[in-house]
Amino acid sequence: MTRRELLEGLGLASAYAFAFGCRPPPKPPRRALEEVSGEVRGWLRDAVAIIHGAGLTGHALAVSRSYRVAAFDVLGATANQARVDGVVLVARDAHGRREQVTSDLTGEGITDAVHALVGKAAPARVEFGPPAPPPAVPKPDPAQLADSALFDSLATIAKRDQGLSSRIVYASDLVEIDDATVWSIAEHRDLEQRLYRVRRQITRVAWNGTRPIIVEASRAWAGGFNDQTFSDDELAAARDTALALMTPGSFPNGEHDLVLAPDVVAGIVDAAARVLWSSRAARRPEIAARFTPDKMIGSASVTIVDDPTAAHAYGGFRFDDAGEPATAVTLIDRGKLAGKIGHGLRAGHTGVLEPMPSHVRFAPGTSETALELKAGYLLEGHRDVRVDPGSDRVVISVQRALEVAHGQRTGRAYAEIELVGDLAALLTSITAATKATRVIGLRDERDGLPRWRSVEAPWLRARGMVRARRSQT
Amino acid sequence: MIDRRSLVRALGNEDIADWVVIQRDQELAVHDDEGRRTEQRTRWQLTIHADTPAGRGTAHVEIDANEADPDKLVAETATLARLSAGPAWATIPPAAPARVDLADPSLATGDALAAAAAIAKLVPRRPGATIDARVTLVRESVSVQARQSFHTEWSATLARVEALVVQGPRGLSIAREARRGADLDVVAAIDEAIADLHLLASATPATPGPCAVILAADALLHGGLGVWDAFAAQADPVVARQGLTRYHEHALIAEGSDAVAEPLTIASDGALAFGVLSSPVGDEGDAVRRFPLVTRGVAAGLGLTPREAAMRQRDPNGGVRNLIVDAGSWDERELPQLRAIEVRRLRGLAIDPFTGDADVEIALGVDRATGAPFTGGTLRLDLIAELSRARRSARTIHRGPYVGPGAVLIERAELI
Repeated sequence: MTRRELLEGLGLASAYAFAFGCRPPPKPPRRALEEVSGEVRGWLRDAVAIIHGAGLTGHALAVSRSYRVAAFDVLGATANQARVDGVVLVARDAHGRREQVTSDLTGEGITDAVHALVGKAAPARVEFGPPAPPPAVPKPDPAQLADSALFDSLATIAKRDQGLSSRIVYASDLVEIDDATVWSIAEHRDLEQRLYRVRRQITRVAWNGTRPIIVEASRAWAGGFNDQTFSDDELAAARDTALALMTPGSFPNGEHDLVLAPDVVAGIVDAAARVLWSSRAARRPEIAARFTPDKMIGSASVTIVDDPTAAHAYGGFRFDDAGEPATAVTLIDRGKLAGKIGHGLRAGHTGVLEPMPSHVRFAPGTSETALELKAGYLLEGHRDVRVDPGSDRVVISVQRALEVAHGQRTGRAYAEIELVGDLAALLTSITAATKATRVIGLRDERDGLPRWRSVEAPWLRARGMVRARRSQT
Repeated sequence: MIDRRSLVRALGNEDIADWVVIQRDQELAVHDDEGRRTEQRTRWQLTIHADTPAGRGTAHVEIDANEADPDKLVAETATLARLSAGPAWATIPPAAPARVDLADPSLATGDALAAAAAIAKLVPRRPGATIDARVTLVRESVSVQARQSFHTEWSATLARVEALVVQGPRGLSIAREARRGADLDVVAAIDEAIADLHLLASATPATPGPCAVILAADALLHGGLGVWDAFAAQADPVVARQGLTRYHEHALIAEGSDAVAEPLTIASDGALAFGVLSSPVGDEGDAVRRFPLVTRGVAAGLGLTPREAAMRQRDPNGGVRNLIVDAGSWDERELPQLRAIEVRRLRGLAIDPFTGDADVEIALGVDRATGAPFTGGTLRLDLIAELSRARRSARTIHRGPYVGPGAVLIERAELI
């Protein structure tokens, strides 16, 4: 295969500039990434060999990823797309680490980058081991998935949600797809994975008194585009929750028995995992002092595992961005601190390496049915969580608190509530968890680069200080 | 490889209403205790507007990769735009780009990693404290071309320092961002953090009750724009059109907001020299302009994209960027009769973008009467109303995207 064919295949460069000068060439058929994977790995192997030739230990990570998002809202349809290539070359020695990053995913671009990193050293002989088997192509084949299919899928959901009321002042349906092929090459390691992540979200907003009630529901997974969608019940629940009238008057601030919905649990777990339970967080002396191995920080009902190997997990992967194979790490084992998040991930696979949660599972309990509560509140609708690394204090804002008395829902629903206290005290108060769980996928950005993670969580019964975020109207 | 000329030629072959191509050649350098990192990348942003019988559709495509075929890229983006039809609107002829300096000559040339290392050397060493700092330097050359023969180019630099300052059993995170190295003010930031760590060591739990609240700079600007973000959210034109903002243009932002001694005035200035959010044009080729958000207590403007501007028959302004808040006359030594607390650091700040209600979680406060530091406690503030009548210091600061008073005094609040 010639260089021109390679470039054509990857869609990487105007190969006709080499072949035809200024004449417009016949359009080459774009080849799928899997067809040129061997050549990409070859370039990366060459780069690692040169790094080793300079007396350093090398790692090469490359990514070719795309992002497609389509949304319908009351203002019409919108669509954005992005396509990003990137190569991260890492050279280590006893003094530390140096990285050279380029968006030029060609043999020439990688050679330039490695020369910028370590100079023009002669390549060393490095044993890479056998290449990994090619990753499976998601179904339907993303190459065959037209943009119109995204809008069609949104239209299908909109058509099924027929009960939209004029009181819904804003409604939006969104679908986004991240498709990343990642190669990781180092001594004794030649890895490749394809991460195809899909996230759907619906938002419904209605006025209630002087405030808008915002309800969001989402589904996120790794796998085929059509693998999941919202059930009719989920659509109806989002609509009806937005339209539900909140109870006027004061919320009885105080210590209450609670049931926490999975989205609330997911918000707590995600914030704690990022802020407190990573190896990087332990640089803060307050965290290092509080989170010592085997310390009890929760009840026996609390087992939390960061598990990137979970099947179809939105935040999952086969290997991390440091090239380490995915392994599950137990963070909390029946209330006892057991481990820290250690998998190194890069935003967009090319950003700065940092320990980040992947797919965090709060172990389900044994309760087959909804958790019973004699008196208290069901908290649902995660808004935000603030965890203070200096003090363990956590403030969890939720959209609704549904009152329960004598084991029954009273029909009272309070908006804008927050659960406050020490995280360890909250985790210690947990007495039961449901067998059923929900998965929440999270996509945010750091320095303009995306990060993906997910949390699987059950409903939990706990106790804590709950208060209104502001005066009720 | 794709280039601007080939893209523009391909755009000329498509039947589209309008387009903008932005090319960003970026060089990044990161310097920290764990290693060094350099990065080169070229980012393309292509925006296409296509008119259809159902209205105008818009598609944005970002490319940070080597694309082979500009014709195909343009054709796909145009198709996407036609699929995305929304309300009909017509492009307003482009205005002249803002004239604004964005590049620090001392950071703009030479080895980027060396320049980042030079900034790292600004981080002071202090006895008894460890400072773990990461310096990021971004250089970029930007070229913008739009359909109506509009073309502009500029260069910019941006430096960021993020540091964890540890003294004894406690640490504080700080972040500073500026276009020029000299504007980072790292030494003062570190020294203030160390001083606050000293205070934290003797801090006692907060005592609830009514109080006057002084928001000092680090609390006022927590996370960037801090409490002033409440006003940026209210200037979102899409939210405003849905009727979801708390106040409307030309109305008082809060009851009596025009009747206080020094009514609040806030402007967005995307043409501020060396402002971190400054730019000659916006992401859709729209000229960036300074515009008022609040003028003497009255809502005065919205951040307008080309579409939102066209639908309102106005000129676009590049959206909300650096915030300029008029200083007041408050002498910070002058305290109210009520118990006054100075809030120096926050654990968290949550602002409801629709209402401006905020939960302010205090990490470090000082009782101004006794000088005793405390930690913990929450303030519930209706930020729009409170800031509209708060007293603003005569002393001003310029930090990141903010220029304005260095402290504000809220004369009545409840610490819980």
